[in-house]
Amino acid sequence: MLKFWRNPEFVRHVRAELRPARAIMVAVVALFMCALIGLACWSQRQELLESAEQSAQQYGGRWAEYVEQLHRDNTRETWLLLFRWLMGLQAGVITFWSMFMCAQSVSGERDSKTWDFQRTTSLTSGEITIGKLLGEPVLAYFAAVCVLPITFWAGLAGGISFRALLSAYISVIASALFLGVCGLWLSTLLETRSRGIGLVGALGLYGFVVGAYGLAMSWFPGLGAFSPLTRLHTVLELKFDGNREIYPVLFGHVVPWLLMSLLLYASFGAWVWIMLVRNLKRDYSEIRPLSRWQVVGCVAFVNFLFYALFSPSILIRSDVLATFMVSLNGALLFVVGLASLTPHERLKVWWRGRAEGTSSLFSDDGLPWPWLILSGVVAYALMVWGLLSWRLSLDFQPGSLRMAAMQLLIVLIFVMRDIMFIQ
Amino acid sequence: MIELIHLRKEYDELVAVQDLNLTIPQGEIFGLIGPNGAGKTTTIRMACGLLAPTVGRALVNGIDVAAGPEGAQQSIGYLSDFFAVYEDLKVWEYLDYFAHAYRVAEGDIAARVTEVIGQVSLEVKRDAMIRGLSRGMKQRLGIARAIIHRPKVLLLDEPASGLDPKARLELRNLLRSLRDQGSTILISSHILTELEGFCTSIGIMEKGRMVRSGRIDEVTAAENLARDLRLSWLGDATALLEQKLGGHVHVSNLQLGTGTGTFQFAGSDEELAQLLSDLVASGVRVKTFAEIKQTVEDLYMKLSRHEVM
Repeated sequence: MLKFWRNPEFVRHVRAELRPARAIMVAVVALFMCALIGLACWSQRQELLESAEQSAQQYGGRWAEYVEQLHRDNTRETWLLLFRWLMGLQAGVITFWSMFMCAQSVSGERDSKTWDFQRTTSLTSGEITIGKLLGEPVLAYFAAVCVLPITFWAGLAGGISFRALLSAYISVIASALFLGVCGLWLSTLLETRSRGIGLVGALGLYGFVVGAYGLAMSWFPGLGAFSPLTRLHTVLELKFDGNREIYPVLFGHVVPWLLMSLLLYASFGAWVWIMLVRNLKRDYSEIRPLSRWQVVGCVAFVNFLFYALFSPSILIRSDVLATFMVSLNGALLFVVGLASLTPHERLKVWWRGRAEGTSSLFSDDGLPWPWLILSGVVAYALMVWGLLSWRLSLDFQPGSLRMAAMQLLIVLIFVMRDIMFIQ
Repeated sequence: MIELIHLRKEYDELVAVQDLNLTIPQGEIFGLIGPNGAGKTTTIRMACGLLAPTVGRALVNGIDVAAGPEGAQQSIGYLSDFFAVYEDLKVWEYLDYFAHAYRVAEGDIAARVTEVIGQVSLEVKRDAMIRGLSRGMKQRLGIARAIIHRPKVLLLDEPASGLDPKARLELRNLLRSLRDQGSTILISSHILTELEGFCTSIGIMEKGRMVRSGRIDEVTAAENLARDLRLSWLGDATALLEQKLGGHVHVSNLQLGTGTGTFQFAGSDEELAQLLSDLVASGVRVKTFAEIKQTVEDLYMKLSRHEVM
């Protein structure tokens, strides 16, 4: 499975997408774009120089020193400008293309009726996922590879360290893979009729991931690592709100942005991967994102992650944090409740078994409510642990845990009512 | 070998397949026949792992398809009535992809691709883009895909739709040769002439149930179906024949014309031979006296009209 270049699905995409004529065309266009952007950067710097020289002639003094500095740094700054443009464009193209193509992958094959034939091969769900994840956006990856030497050259000439360049690329590729795997999952949920909705959903998800940049200023700054912009901001010399430097925190310890985003992508990506591998070869009507235990595990994971990433910039009250976590769990329980709905035909079989006394209340094919209660209990247990662990950093209010228990119980009842109604 | 054990599939309120039990031994060509909506496609999709049965199991070569789909699918070749192919590949690339996907040994793939292209007569299109192929050629390519990994079991759902008469003939010959090589074939169709001549067994499905199944001669014998007979004679013996045949206990549907006639006979071979002797002895100058071979279509029409239910 690790030899992705021999994965039949990947090879199929490479053959279809990168026929010699098309590959040459893409390479030529990419290099032409580089040349155009390079000229634009050079032109911008020249304009700045000319304008500074005019000011120096007019005013002299510190302007002359400034012009001298501009001349001294001109080559480096021009390369740096080119690098920023190229890196930003590559990040945008690769991440967007990866998500966009993957979000149409399975639904597109359902549409063209080739999906059944792929499902009847000996390829495992994992192999199909890897093949599609890397194969669908292969044209964008190829274009990036064409531009890669120029970007590296521009970055190094612009004074960026090799390590920073490498981490920028790792970050972009990790984002593309994460968005791609999310896109693939989205496409497995779509039929021909709903492909348009899926693409809107993909755009929304892309917007959310990129916009997660803003979460760096929240109580959970680590969540900002979801956005490719957050990691690129050091390389691209962007600043957060108010020019503050913000770092993600894990269990109270500062960690690098790249590490944080790799952790987030790996952990959330693993959940999406589980859902894909469980369901990819199933018929559309039989898709069930997570098993019952996985639902409980998912709730535990998200709660645990939020307490691990918690980093208040101001002193906040424990009951405020508890109310926030109850709200979060309300949304989370509703989502996992939807993910654990039992298909109608399976539920009928379970009912028959229940009438005969052979099916358990906690069966995988049964009703979701017992597992929602278990998930709620796990969420509350983690809330107790989280609030007590952070009590020294919070304005700890006695009774906030008791109040949170009541709130969570009410939320759970409403969520169960809605999920049972949908079921 | 294919075994379907208490197979049932429900869609909300609809029961598409009900308690289906079927065993198809190795080397059989089993024709699954029935009207549209009888449950043939659902049965085949469950047998190849595309649909999970609500209840029951489908075993292919002893492997439970739902429990170990990849293992079972290694020995299954599946073809459906729609001939969807990857239009942006070349013919050989398409087959190469599926050979890899079915885990054909790396060293054998090139030769196998060439061999299969020859079997479906697409040699001249080997390097052509699929999008340029005709409908019939794409269906032949689909057949090539289904057999690329030398499957022991072939599940074919209306495989001849879209094929021209020559290609249909080639398909029949191909299926016969695959059967001779030991493949087990389950083929569904509602065009009964498609199945004529090469099915060794049949199963008739209606409303999700298997009405009858077994080897064609066994089904005929088990249901004690009347045989169709045709006779011709010289001279004017119509009145005599009407008297002799019309009054016979095993004869029905008697239709006599000028010099020829047909009737159905529900008796044994001995009784049939006796009838012929009686006719000759009574002075009828019998020119021909022959059984009209039952076609699959005849059998289906008799069974599905509930003549024997």
